[in-house]
Amino acid sequence: MKELRNIFCIGLFLVLVLTFLCPSAMVQAAEKKEIIIGAPIPITGNIAMNGGEEKWAFEQAIKDANAKGGIFIKQYNKKLPIKFIVEDAESDPGKAVAATERLVKIDKVDLLLSSCTGNLVVPVAMAAEKMKVYYHASSCFPFLWRPGNYKWSTLYFFELPQGADVPFDVLTSLPPAERPKKLALLMEDSADGRAFDGGLREAAKKYKYEVALSEFLGVGAKDYSAQILKLKSQGIDSGVLLCADTDAITFVRQSKEADFNIKYLHGNKGTVSNEFYSALGKDADYVLADGLWSPEWPYPKAKEIGDRYQKEFHRDSQAIGLYYALAQTLLMAIEKAGTVDGAKVRQAVMTTPFKGTVMGDIKYKPDGVAVFINGAFQWWEGKLKTVFPFELSGGWKLKLAPPWKERK
Amino acid sequence: MKHKKRLLWIIIPIALALLPLIFDPESSYLIYFLYMTFIYIALTQSWNLVGGYTGQVSLGHYAFFGLGAYVVAIAWSRGLINFLSPHGMLAGGLGAAILAILIGIPLLSKLRGDYFALGTLGLGEILRLATVKGGAFTGGPTGILLSVASFTTIAPHYYIGLVITLLALGATWTITKSHIGLALVAIRDNEAVASASGVNILKFKVFALAAGAFIAGLCGALHANYIFQIDPQGFYSLNWTLYPVLMTVLGGAGTLFGPVIGAVFLSIGFELARYFLPEIHPIFSGLLMILAIMFLPNGLIGLRLRKSKRAIVKKW
Repeated sequence: MKELRNIFCIGLFLVLVLTFLCPSAMVQAAEKKEIIIGAPIPITGNIAMNGGEEKWAFEQAIKDANAKGGIFIKQYNKKLPIKFIVEDAESDPGKAVAATERLVKIDKVDLLLSSCTGNLVVPVAMAAEKMKVYYHASSCFPFLWRPGNYKWSTLYFFELPQGADVPFDVLTSLPPAERPKKLALLMEDSADGRAFDGGLREAAKKYKYEVALSEFLGVGAKDYSAQILKLKSQGIDSGVLLCADTDAITFVRQSKEADFNIKYLHGNKGTVSNEFYSALGKDADYVLADGLWSPEWPYPKAKEIGDRYQKEFHRDSQAIGLYYALAQTLLMAIEKAGTVDGAKVRQAVMTTPFKGTVMGDIKYKPDGVAVFINGAFQWWEGKLKTVFPFELSGGWKLKLAPPWKERK
Repeated sequence: MKHKKRLLWIIIPIALALLPLIFDPESSYLIYFLYMTFIYIALTQSWNLVGGYTGQVSLGHYAFFGLGAYVVAIAWSRGLINFLSPHGMLAGGLGAAILAILIGIPLLSKLRGDYFALGTLGLGEILRLATVKGGAFTGGPTGILLSVASFTTIAPHYYIGLVITLLALGATWTITKSHIGLALVAIRDNEAVASASGVNILKFKVFALAAGAFIAGLCGALHANYIFQIDPQGFYSLNWTLYPVLMTVLGGAGTLFGPVIGAVFLSIGFELARYFLPEIHPIFSGLLMILAIMFLPNGLIGLRLRKSKRAIVKKW
């Protein structure tokens, strides 16, 4: 009797699990009532902060489209609302693939929106290719993405060489007498750091800049004093830094403690975060940050999106514009394609000139990549001022940092 | 009773083999979920041989998993093998086993307990860093991108995963029923007594490590054929050690079916947590593991043993 009860319990448990893992096929057979878009976003793990911004921006774009009644789909001759589903990519490539599997096979999404960072975007592009679901991607350098020759994805991001040119574009915009002379490259020892180091060296050659010192910084190291002393002893007066925000905070703090005066510090990846300014306060002034977007840029709805984010989180974001624009282009492409069929939506993405997004106009090239210009910003009194592209700077002039002792 | 158990050994694999014919592998998440569960079961068995039966806690198991994947990726990207090549997967397993022998001899002859665990952890980190710094040979930090063109369905991966799982279970069963198994358990229970009884401690420890590494390497090689982007962050991730260790401990280390139960239980638990508590699922998963280890020190299988012990006491 007991054995029978055990078998019944195990059987019931397995039936429940099977029901959970195998959603009804009727979902597909029924008349289409909504467009389902999914995104494998890291909402836990070490890049959860980036994932949080991405999720918020996608949700806003979809909320705005739904407020207008959804997207008109010619195939059904009516407007359909959009349902947005997020699965946690857990900041891990393998987990990003598992999240994509869940989105496609359990949630039955029609289309996929991007994950963030190249480490997650490429495996998801591979998974989308296997499952033949269109993946509207961003946040990955095109040189990492192009070798995949994906037929089910497209990419919207900036080219690494252009991003590597930015510090030199800014430096050479200074009058020759004011320009810092001894440049150091300070890269974190990671995929991004190694790739960016190569790009910066090429850019330095192009701009006839000599790299006086190149150092790789340990990710998450708590002490950079040895490297800082080396920089100080070699008379380095400018640097390009790439590392996470916590490492950038440590680097600037220890530079101040060691009285290492650097006139121009161009940070990438980490110095753009609000946490960087919150932790350093006025010591963050003069530091530059790479950035994807600014609410101050003169594009439709840019200010409105920036204000919405500011109102909700009491801080700025240099990334939400990119993700909002990415969702905008996907929704425009669905309307243009008149269907949610992934192959047709991709075709529409490739052939449509997208006008008036929060990132400006966007046009994909035949290789499935659309590029934008990576910007540079300077921290000043808690705000990021646009330095580059120069035409979007709104009159802000780059300030070189005075020695620590002369700062108020 | 024995007859019933033997029948289950036949019925369960046949039922699992029939599932892709019932559920469409292209659209059913169940097939992917079971494929991942097979990998975890095989990994738990591979760790169980070293940690459970021999008592040598290895934290570097992810190194063997990653190496298996990289052997496939390097050989495939150079045109030496192709998609789901049995030679490639075997090479992945053998590569990991050879590394285990090479590293096992110095480590196991000198280090014991926590020191051995830290030594193996160091091996994983060395291999990860060597891969990051490996330049064009390993693809550096961005890894190696393989062609997805040959992929049509997950079904072959599912069946290979099932075969590797059965192989791991069969191998563990055979080893534990042989004199090797006795030697491994003797080493775990009391190394000095085992040595005094004539057991060649180093030989058996290295054997267990190499056998476990072979299975882990096979798993890595199979998974490389599914993910297609083999990078250090994904394949040399400590998760490939931590999850199998937790699953083994939760199910019951040093038993044949304990790790299987642990792998199935935690895989389902994690899945449900992700679904119902998307923003806080790591907290729930962590809590589940703490509670399980606190209240089930001998694993889930220990519950059954406790029950049968109680029944014996009652009888008396």
